[in-house]
Amino acid sequence: MKALAKRFARDRIAVTGLAILGLLALAAILAPVLAPYPEDVATFHIERRLLPPSAEALMGTDRMGGDIFSRLLFGARATLTLTTVAVGAALLIGVPIGLIAGYYRNWASDALMRVSDVFLAVPQIVMAIAIGQTLGSSAENVILALSLTYWPFWARLVFAETRSMRNEIFVESAVALGASAWRVMVLHILPNIASAIIVRTAIGMGATMLTAATLGFLGLGVPPPAPEWGRMIAESRQYLPDAWWYSLAPGAAIFLTVLGFNLLGDGLRDILNARIRRRR
Amino acid sequence: MSWLALVANRLFWFVPTLLGLLTIVFILSRVVPVDPAVLMAGENASAEQAQRIREQFGLDQPLIAQFVDYLHDTIRGDLGRSLYTQQPILTDLAARLPATLELAFAASLVALLIGVTLGILAGLHRDTLLDHVLGIATISCMAVAPFWMAMEFQSLFSMDLGWLPLSGRVQGFPPAQVTGFIFLDALITADAGALWSALQHILLPTLTLALPAAATMARFTRNGVIAAMSSPSVDYQMAMGLPRRVIIWKYVLRMAIMATVTQFGLTFAILLTGVVVVETIFDWPGLGSYAINSILQSDYNAVMGFTLCTGVMLITVNLLVDILQAAIDPRGSA
Repeated sequence: MKALAKRFARDRIAVTGLAILGLLALAAILAPVLAPYPEDVATFHIERRLLPPSAEALMGTDRMGGDIFSRLLFGARATLTLTTVAVGAALLIGVPIGLIAGYYRNWASDALMRVSDVFLAVPQIVMAIAIGQTLGSSAENVILALSLTYWPFWARLVFAETRSMRNEIFVESAVALGASAWRVMVLHILPNIASAIIVRTAIGMGATMLTAATLGFLGLGVPPPAPEWGRMIAESRQYLPDAWWYSLAPGAAIFLTVLGFNLLGDGLRDILNARIRRRR
Repeated sequence: MSWLALVANRLFWFVPTLLGLLTIVFILSRVVPVDPAVLMAGENASAEQAQRIREQFGLDQPLIAQFVDYLHDTIRGDLGRSLYTQQPILTDLAARLPATLELAFAASLVALLIGVTLGILAGLHRDTLLDHVLGIATISCMAVAPFWMAMEFQSLFSMDLGWLPLSGRVQGFPPAQVTGFIFLDALITADAGALWSALQHILLPTLTLALPAAATMARFTRNGVIAAMSSPSVDYQMAMGLPRRVIIWKYVLRMAIMATVTQFGLTFAILLTGVVVVETIFDWPGLGSYAINSILQSDYNAVMGFTLCTGVMLITVNLLVDILQAAIDPRGSA
């Protein structure tokens, strides 16, 4: 474990990713303290609308006169919470399905995987939009739409990994010793495929965030006036190109967050793969 | 599992997968909180008028009966009528398919050119400055929200600089319609103006779509090149004293590109997802903008038609890729 932490600290990619995400999480938690105008989340100041960046408003103001920097900080809360909960739910659906389908070899496990194929066959964004549109725009529905859209990614991965573990000698001996199927799956297989799941989760967080932002952009995300990055970009569209700062800040925020997750995922994959290779 | 058994297994599951797709889409479209009959009849319509529309479209039947009807019609190629355009869905989709195919083809081509070239460069110069720069560039391309990239492109190249048109497929009247593909039509009718205009219009949407796909391809190609370079066969050729140039051009690139081709299913999925948003922002009259409009208007026949259409395309592409992959490399089909 200690060796692993050391490896991590030496991996510049993973550390950069973690640093970006750490700063963002800190900004989200401390939003009420850090934001120069925390009241701008819900109040309007039409007299200072669409002002370019200045000392008073670091990133300019939006069409309602709200301070974009303050709204961005509060938007980080919504985005990070939504993505984390949605990915958590997708993991809760996908991992057990993948484990069970991978462990047993019968028509039922084939059928489970075909169900995940069906979900994968619909373009994610279309599926998420359809669910979001059907259920109406609210934070809960965005989470539901995203988790229903993304669970097959984990199910497929866990399925493939479990299938390859199934033939390992340590699994066969556990079965031979009379361990129950649940015991083998949870205590023997799951810990050995955890690293693959972690890597996929880091990258999946980025993809899920992009879809969440797209839903917000199309007006199917968290309802106004709560600040949301995707919707901020949509609002800025009619003020381009004059109010260039309006779309720049939320777009850059999305970019940085997704980049953080991608870097973390890449770094983790290198570290964990190297560990597996060395062990063998 | 032998190759034939794998193909048989995939083909056997093709129909149930399609059926599952239809079921999901059907369920989704029928729990809409808005009553489509009221929507269609208009705000001021009486209850009787709404009821007549309900009966006309079979919306008063039980859900199971509606589903059976739907399956029956779909098998005969009848996807119903759009609640908005009043056209058969199949006609609507067919009219818009060429625009999307044109865009998807252009984006695939650009993504393939950029992605494979950069991936080979990065793989051959592994762990050099070039490799690191390309690595940062690709991972950045994958982190940009496509809708934001589209808007910033429009803002910079169309509004600020005025170099490229803001949206649409072609300026003024399109060339006489022969195939529906503007590029082909312009070539057939020898309309140089339309061809030039179409090129200018397709550039920004193509770039927006192609960059994330190119980044994904570059990563796969790089891994393919590295795997090929460290394979025993290349070690052998090195030991035999073959020049590095020959080894790379004759063996390494072939193996690496093969690895990239088998990932085409993934690239196709990325493009299909991107098309939906990119078409909406650039007012590209294709399937993607049709889908968004239909969803926002609760035109569920159209949504089902679109989802079915893209779903079938994706399932078929994945089926072909699976079969191709098993044919190229039988080891993966265990």
